[in-house]
Amino acid sequence: MTGLGGLLRFMLRRERLALPWWLLGATLLVLVQSTQSQGLYGTPEDLASLRRTIGGNTAVIAMSGPTRLLENIGGEVVFEILAYVSIVVAMMSMFLVGRHTRADEESGRAELVRSARLGRHATLAAALVLAGLANLAVGALVFAAAAGTGLPVSGSLLFGAATAAVGGVFAALTAVAVQVFENARAAYGAVALAIGAAFVLRAAGDIGNGALSWVSPIGWAQRTFPYVDNRWWPLAVPVAVAAALVVAAMALLARRDFAAGLVRPRPGRATASAALGSSLGLAWRLQRGALAGWAAGLFLLGVAYGSIGNSIEQYVADNPAVAEYLPGGAADVVDSYLAFTALTLALIVSAYGVVTALRARSEETSGRAEPLLATATSRAGWLGSHLVVAAGGAASVLAAAGLGEGLAYGLATSDAGQVPRMVGVSLGYLPAVLLVTAVAVLGLGWLPRAAAALAWVAVAYCAVIALFADSFDIPGWLRRGSPFAHTPEVPIDDWTVAPLVVIGLLAVALAAGGYAGLRRRDLGY
Amino acid sequence: MSVQNGPAIEIAGLTKTFGRAKALDGLDLSVRTGEVHGFLGPNGSGKTTTIRILLGLLRSDAGTVRMLGGDPWRDAVALHRRLAYVPGDVNLWPNISGGEVIDLLGRMRGGLDRARRDELLERFDLDPRKKARTYSKGNRQKVALIAALASDAELLLLDEPTSGLDPLMEAEFQRCVHRLKAEGRTVLLSSHILAEVEALCDRVSIIRLGRTVESGTLSQLRHLTRTSISVETARPLAGIDALAGVHDLVVDDHHARFDVDTAELDEVVRALAPLGVRSLTSTPPTLEEMFLRHYGDEAAAEAEAAVR
Repeated sequence: MTGLGGLLRFMLRRERLALPWWLLGATLLVLVQSTQSQGLYGTPEDLASLRRTIGGNTAVIAMSGPTRLLENIGGEVVFEILAYVSIVVAMMSMFLVGRHTRADEESGRAELVRSARLGRHATLAAALVLAGLANLAVGALVFAAAAGTGLPVSGSLLFGAATAAVGGVFAALTAVAVQVFENARAAYGAVALAIGAAFVLRAAGDIGNGALSWVSPIGWAQRTFPYVDNRWWPLAVPVAVAAALVVAAMALLARRDFAAGLVRPRPGRATASAALGSSLGLAWRLQRGALAGWAAGLFLLGVAYGSIGNSIEQYVADNPAVAEYLPGGAADVVDSYLAFTALTLALIVSAYGVVTALRARSEETSGRAEPLLATATSRAGWLGSHLVVAAGGAASVLAAAGLGEGLAYGLATSDAGQVPRMVGVSLGYLPAVLLVTAVAVLGLGWLPRAAAALAWVAVAYCAVIALFADSFDIPGWLRRGSPFAHTPEVPIDDWTVAPLVVIGLLAVALAAGGYAGLRRRDLGY
Repeated sequence: MSVQNGPAIEIAGLTKTFGRAKALDGLDLSVRTGEVHGFLGPNGSGKTTTIRILLGLLRSDAGTVRMLGGDPWRDAVALHRRLAYVPGDVNLWPNISGGEVIDLLGRMRGGLDRARRDELLERFDLDPRKKARTYSKGNRQKVALIAALASDAELLLLDEPTSGLDPLMEAEFQRCVHRLKAEGRTVLLSSHILAEVEALCDRVSIIRLGRTVESGTLSQLRHLTRTSISVETARPLAGIDALAGVHDLVVDDHHARFDVDTAELDEVVRALAPLGVRSLTSTPPTLEEMFLRHYGDEAAAEAEAAVR
């Protein structure tokens, strides 16, 4: 363990830019949820009606937690947000441990560090202490956010401790995963799978008899029932599990060679398949994994939205305040809800479009585009291949979101017609998504260094206009800049093709403008 | 393969600035068809920038550039079918295997020789099934080299292609370049390894601060530089320091060591002859010495600039 202190200081220094964002994210989730819940369900009657509508809705339970938490307002906050704060904290812990152990070993940086006067276990121990400190900070911030917004102190303390405990388990699990896998990507993949499994298991447990929730770290945290029962003893489970995992990781570390894992990575192909022969083939190969992930994620989100569509009428009748968020107001509640959720999903898809288009920029700055553009591939072909994937991918992800929402809502209402209807509604946003994506392309051509910032500002602007325009009284002229504001909100609006065509043409024009810039400029700068 | 009489690359007065920094400042370069041309210069002297302009990745600010009879910026795609490139710093996609990258680059150029590809894999001892993530710098460089060498390109632009290779692979690389030369292909080889340049190159251009300072065959370059002389004479040596072109003279009665500008060698030998030469050794400058002289000048100029 020689050198632990110095190493830890060095790690903290390397994390000074990223870590605050994770902490801020977790804190904001609790802060916003606590404020919003207390606004919506301030009275015991509100809570009672919420228990009535939600108590029997398996979809809501699957997306949140055990209904026992709905006894009081503090429990309601925990019910809605703890699972999601847990995911944020688990990911933070995963990246903290992974980045300073396996990722460094893979890049060779750790070799330099290890050659100094340093114990074999010091790096892993320092990374775990770092993750521990970060989770303590999360716990303190969650406590502060909950207690600061007026929730009882004792429950808030447990809320914070439970959140930190989830982070601790996944930090320890990552410590094992980085011993097993030879590269950080595979280790992250395995831990991410475990995080997903933790969510799914507790969802299944909370719907059923609760047994499965007891094999999930998120379940352990939720079953402390902060504010409702304030039981501390379930936290003994994550503490014991984390300790066992740390011991296992340390033992595995002592048994393996530097830079080696316990699982040999699968070799790749010796020759390229027929599909990998052009820049389009390469762009597809590079992006297909991400596309599958986005499509699956938005499909599930669509399912989540669609499955509660059925009970939304009752829900709004009980909570008139919710209707304010819906574009059509209390009338046509379900249609209004479907339109609003389709819009929300489309806004997320515009982030997919931007991420995918910006891949061209990272290919350029990493130097990987250089050997490609030294072949008989034109700049138009190279950029175009990334944009084809971005546009095709955006259409697929929109379709997946609509399919999920249509399927779930259709099943709930026994109406197969909902599937094509919702896929259509979702795809109606394709021109708007493409226009936001085209902003990234325009930046790529003319202001390459600012392209990412520019595109994300566009995404954020559209999201704020779509979600908060009414709450913040944003003036009409400012709203008109968002393509989402001009897309008809089917099913409360009727289809009108003209705005879609105009938005689509604008997207093409912007992308062409971006290409005009890319044609003229130096590459790689 | 088209045989051309004109030069493969003809650059005159090439200028390129990045913001305030002047990367190229009136560079000239002429590479004849069928020759292996060494492109020498210290780090940051503009070699990579020149090659990127030849590839049409960067746009020149001033000067003329012709390559294979075309304009590298305007005719990029057409020219790229006829050339192959190995970057100095090879970055690959972590999740794609070396064999896949070789095939991809080959297909995007317009096809590669399968038999040659397999032979090169063998020669360079590269496992094509490994993902690029696990390759060392040297192995990434081998991937780019094999892709370039397995092509039928007329012109190869190699930017420090051997900086990560071990001596065995370096020897393998030299054999490959000899073969290219025998096939009549043109190679522009930027390098730091002077023994490699001496072994492979017909002609050499040395650049410094974005400007060509020397260009020609190795013997032509030697003529422009100094020869080391060690001489022993019957009569006492006198008046040598007065001769033009003599530098770094160390003399004691009958024995002297000095450097002489090769252009003045004849005059100096004439002056020595009447003194009764007992032994004389003359050592032509190595490329390394020539290079260090230019590099040394630059280092001195930089030090001067820093003081000012």
